[in-house]
Amino acid sequence: MDERKRTCLEAAGVNVEDVLARFMNNEALMLKFLLRFPQDPNFQLLQEAMARQDLQGAYNAAHTLKGVAGNLSMTGLMAAVSTVVEDLRGGDMAAAADKLPHLAQQYRQTVEAVEAAAQLS
Amino acid sequence: MNDPACESILIVDDDEINRAILSNIFESDYKILEAENGRVGLDLVIRHRDRICALLLDVVMPEMDGMEVLRQMHQQGLTQEIPVFMVTADPGATTIRDAYQHGVMDVISKPVVPYVVRRRVESVVELFRARRMLGAEVERQRDQLILQTQQLAEMGVGMVEALATAIEFRSDESGEHVRRIRDITTYLLSNSPLGEGLTEDEIQLIGVAAITHDVGKISIPDAILNKKGRLTPEEFEIMKSHTVKGAQLLSSIPQMRGHSAYHYAYDVALHHHERWDGRGYPDGLVGDQTPIWTQIVSLADVYDALISKRCYKDPFPTHVAMEMILGGQCGAFNPRLLEAFVQAEPVLAQLYQPSRGA
Repeated sequence: MDERKRTCLEAAGVNVEDVLARFMNNEALMLKFLLRFPQDPNFQLLQEAMARQDLQGAYNAAHTLKGVAGNLSMTGLMAAVSTVVEDLRGGDMAAAADKLPHLAQQYRQTVEAVEAAAQLS
Repeated sequence: MNDPACESILIVDDDEINRAILSNIFESDYKILEAENGRVGLDLVIRHRDRICALLLDVVMPEMDGMEVLRQMHQQGLTQEIPVFMVTADPGATTIRDAYQHGVMDVISKPVVPYVVRRRVESVVELFRARRMLGAEVERQRDQLILQTQQLAEMGVGMVEALATAIEFRSDESGEHVRRIRDITTYLLSNSPLGEGLTEDEIQLIGVAAITHDVGKISIPDAILNKKGRLTPEEFEIMKSHTVKGAQLLSSIPQMRGHSAYHYAYDVALHHHERWDGRGYPDGLVGDQTPIWTQIVSLADVYDALISKRCYKDPFPTHVAMEMILGGQCGAFNPRLLEAFVQAEPVLAQLYQPSRGA
């Protein structure tokens, strides 16, 4: 992989080596899903569900986002979203809401890094 | 259900990235089937059950979740045939326990580590493959054993037939005689009320017994056996001994004694010259003291002797033979037996057509 691209992604908490291994070094396949990440609707869905106090909707979105972040080895985002998932699983929307700003920051950083990496190709 | 048929891995997951990652791990060695919810997945399992060698199953999915798919497969016994791997992001204690209770093979956590998934899935696929091959091998061997047992039994009957034919040869009769008596006996038992209560297997054993009815003739000197004229009273006494000698001969062969036809063969050899009126030999049994199947062999023997050429006589036409039997010129028979015989005679007479035509 292009070195600048790698550095850019790693700065935003993406473990490039790990995600490549998950795709068995099939870089094209990995990039296909990685570059599509900014279009993933789950963070948006989570925010909306939180805003209307929809616990189940929030949980589903957070759970899916966690799965995507895990598969793409976005370690920073993964850590932030995991704690939110646990709060929501326990039904504690207030605790989840407290963590939402940190999660939003991680999410934006990751999306920006991916978009920047996309520009590099 | 042979092996090359079982070659597909089914991936059921609502998330496209998960399906892509798993499919990428296995697509070099297996055909991949994919479904994006449990309902479609279960449908594929049922339609392709012979082709699927492993199922990778997500838990949280729309339409039908993974646990429900597993439950239904378990209920239908499908988890015995197809190993199921739960692939889940939250392998909580309850999920894992439920999964194992419903026959899951293994639980793998997401995000997956490819070489671990590959190892765990492949060892189980190998195990199932070996088990299936072993099952097929056992089945093949069992079929072979059944075939060999059958061949042995046929060989046994063949030997008995050879022995009986060799003995018949001395009195200038061909093997046709014993075979016809067997055919007449089994025909009457299978196609008339006389055979009531007997199974098809028992009827075949009685057929074997019919073949050996005259083995005692081996002990009768040629001069008496093949004498053209009338036998003297002393000669006739010797001739009569072929019944007792036949039974003795059969009982002195251990293999014969162990044969399932022995019980019939012994009685047929001993009593096929008894008469309904008690004036036969060697025991002077009256009526149904002689079993019905021995009575049948006895009548078949008389009928065949009448319509075949013998050293002491020419063949009689069948209608004459029937008149002689019914008129009591050739012994006394059970009326019930004669009635069945009259009914069957047109068919029995045809047993003689091919050899006549030759």
